[in-house]
Amino acid sequence: MSDWTNILETRGLTMQFGGVTAVDEVDFTLRDGELRCLLGPNGAGKSTFFKCLTGQLIPTRGSVTFKGEDMTGWNTHDIVNLGIGIKTQMPNVFDGVSVYENVRLSSRRKHMAAQAKELAEKTLERCGITHLAKREVGTLSHGQRQLVELAMVLAAEPALILLDEPAAGMTGEERDRLARLVLESARSAAVIVVEHDMVFIRQIAKFVTVFNRGAIFREAMIDEIMADREVQEIYLGKQANVASA
Amino acid sequence: MDYTLVVALEMIRAIAWLVLLASGLAIIFGMMRIINFAHGEFLMLGGYTVVISTNAGVNEWVSILILAPVVVGVFGIIVERLVIQRLYGRILDSLLATWGLSMLMMGGVTMIFGNTVQGVSTPFGGMKIGAYQVPIYNFVLIGFAVLVLVAIWCVLKFTKAGLIARATMQNADMAEALGIRTRWVYMTTFGIGSAITGLAGGLLAPVTGVVPTMGMNLVGQSFITVITGGASVIAGTLSSATLLGTISQGVTFLTGPVYGDAALLVTALVLLRLLPQGITGRIFKRSL
Amino acid sequence: MEKSVLRDPGFYVMVAIGLAAMLILPVVLDMFTIMQITQYVVLAVFALSLGYIWGFGGILSFGQAAFFGLGAYTFAVAAINIGETTIPLILAFAIPCLFGAALGYFIFYGRLSDVYLGVVTMVVTLLFWKLANHTAGPEYAIGEARLGGFNGIPSIPVMNIPGEPEAMLDPVQMFQVFMGFLIVVYIVLRLLIASDFGRVSIGIRENETRASLLGYDVRRHKLVVFAIGSGIAGLAGAMWATYQAFIDPNAFSMEMSAKALVWVMAGGVGTLVGPIIGVILLQWLTLKLGTMELLNSLAVLGAIMMVLVLALPKGIVPTLRKLIVDGWTLARRKKTGGKADE
Repeated sequence: MSDWTNILETRGLTMQFGGVTAVDEVDFTLRDGELRCLLGPNGAGKSTFFKCLTGQLIPTRGSVTFKGEDMTGWNTHDIVNLGIGIKTQMPNVFDGVSVYENVRLSSRRKHMAAQAKELAEKTLERCGITHLAKREVGTLSHGQRQLVELAMVLAAEPALILLDEPAAGMTGEERDRLARLVLESARSAAVIVVEHDMVFIRQIAKFVTVFNRGAIFREAMIDEIMADREVQEIYLGKQANVASA
Repeated sequence: MDYTLVVALEMIRAIAWLVLLASGLAIIFGMMRIINFAHGEFLMLGGYTVVISTNAGVNEWVSILILAPVVVGVFGIIVERLVIQRLYGRILDSLLATWGLSMLMMGGVTMIFGNTVQGVSTPFGGMKIGAYQVPIYNFVLIGFAVLVLVAIWCVLKFTKAGLIARATMQNADMAEALGIRTRWVYMTTFGIGSAITGLAGGLLAPVTGVVPTMGMNLVGQSFITVITGGASVIAGTLSSATLLGTISQGVTFLTGPVYGDAALLVTALVLLRLLPQGITGRIFKRSL
Repeated sequence: MEKSVLRDPGFYVMVAIGLAAMLILPVVLDMFTIMQITQYVVLAVFALSLGYIWGFGGILSFGQAAFFGLGAYTFAVAAINIGETTIPLILAFAIPCLFGAALGYFIFYGRLSDVYLGVVTMVVTLLFWKLANHTAGPEYAIGEARLGGFNGIPSIPVMNIPGEPEAMLDPVQMFQVFMGFLIVVYIVLRLLIASDFGRVSIGIRENETRASLLGYDVRRHKLVVFAIGSGIAGLAGAMWATYQAFIDPNAFSMEMSAKALVWVMAGGVGTLVGPIIGVILLQWLTLKLGTMELLNSLAVLGAIMMVLVLALPKGIVPTLRKLIVDGWTLARRKKTGGKADE
């Protein structure tokens, strides 16, 4: 692997659907160990951008580089095997099997059976879902399934964690736990969080990238962003919701 | 020169044949994303309708153009109400159920009419191109293939029903959100697809004769044409029928009909490896 | 499903029942009945091949008969040419397995959807059936073996003891050997399903996207599952060929594929016992209905298939299992005097 300074970089990343440009020439960089939140109104292109990073979409133009390696257009599983953990917008879990088995399938990827077992148990503990270990995932609530999926991501011990709306459908208590987990994970890995929930964002965010109309609109510290009039304008409708949330 | 003409004609006939076989199936697939595995037996039903009514004294053209589509269309609607609509959202189950229906129909027709080939005379006889005898009925088949495609195109393009159909094809959830009653649309689609299949079966009857198992010889070609074409009814059916018809007929000329079928399958497999959504999944995406 | 096979009492019960049947049935039943049961044993192996790939890999193949027939023809041709049956038996596993892998490459690496998978596997079966029917002429021969078209291949050698071509098995021995095969296939599949490989397959069945998000190569995984299933179907085909001493293109028929689906559906997708029970139940039913001579067997099969899809989508074994578990919980609750909170 070549020398690298930024753990993740995109250059001129563009995604078009038919005539619509959802992501437009995005240059994005993330330093190792950094925790970054991606904000923006609905349709700003955050999720499309995210899917270009995870290999779920193949960008029309531009490149994605992880640790100096160009991974544009790779298969999802190859991207994951570079050391990237991904949580998609809708919880993607194995519904028909137990919580423990879900997490173990993740930890088993890199470890022998015995260590995988240990790591899976430790991760369940860490995520506070040990009491659910034997439950079938399909029978859990949306928020609980989100936590299971996060546990699966963490059990793979990734160097970069990509989370798309992890707090959706969570109770207040679950969200607080999630915030603690994300902050804790950010000590050992770089993290990108795409999120709408401003309460959650305030709990975790430091440096923030705001998307609008498929491009990066502003990048700054969270306090600065919150005070920015233009950001408030593009967010307008949203902001009202936030106040009430 | 004559030979070239005859070969070219055969190629076009092969393409028309595939268009006729597959159009009804393609409409159902394009709209509902399911494959009617009893398609071959729907063709058979159209064929039997023609043979039985013609032998009972009905004018042959009335049997082919009116009775066969109506009988099979109505049958399709009944099947949709009794079976398919219970399985929406369970695509694989609907495949299994229609396959069960296929065997039930095959067995049922065998019980009623026996396992022998019955036929009607082929209208028009033949004509000569140089030293070669060509059945005039081939031109009828080609003409009807064109007619079916043009009719579908006109309906999709110029009518309100066509607009609804196009919306549903593009995005079923969105269509539902816009207040279109997709259930009603599906029933109609299945009925129309079945009627076209009935017409095709009726048109084929004079050529192939009818026998309860005739569907088995036809479904392979129909299925391959539809999935190779992808979800767009006209562009998909036409492009894949042209490609596959040319290749299979070419191979048939060289080695005989069995390998023609094999060539069809191999071409389709290679094509699907390259274009998993069928031809119209990648190319002609926006077409009908 | 997730606990270790070796700690599952059901596993030992099944193996014990199998072994008991293998040893005791020849003593208590007459030769004719034993030969009848042998047929069920062969078909049970065939049913397991589909039960495995469908229930534990999420691959619904509409063309399992293609591999069954390929195995049968491979065995027939090889046995006639070689004059013994051990190597042909291995080939009857290996060749369908390789063919399954090749076909799987197109299907899974093309990322074809379920509907396309169904259509492609069905069309492949149809094609084999047509080709096999077409080989009537004397020019269609592989070595000593004439393929015979719709007339089929007669006089396929009976199975012999490995290394001793003269030592052919009598019907009772054949029954016992086939039971042995069935038990081995069952054990191997159970272990495979419980292994990490098998657990990933189940994960893929549950959610392909998540499996690839964990870094598993879904395409390769499905290809391997499909190839193993194809090999087992081929083995069943070889058993069928040597049991009947005859094989014809109907081995490739759609009816054969449909039967496999019906057995698995009836018994229950996602179990291995289910497909075996499905075979016994439905073959017995077909036998009874067949003697009435009133109904066409194909029509009956079709009707059963439709009824299963519409009325009993989960199959017999899972439905029973749920009933028993529910009953058990209910009984326990009553016993402990728990609150009737439902």
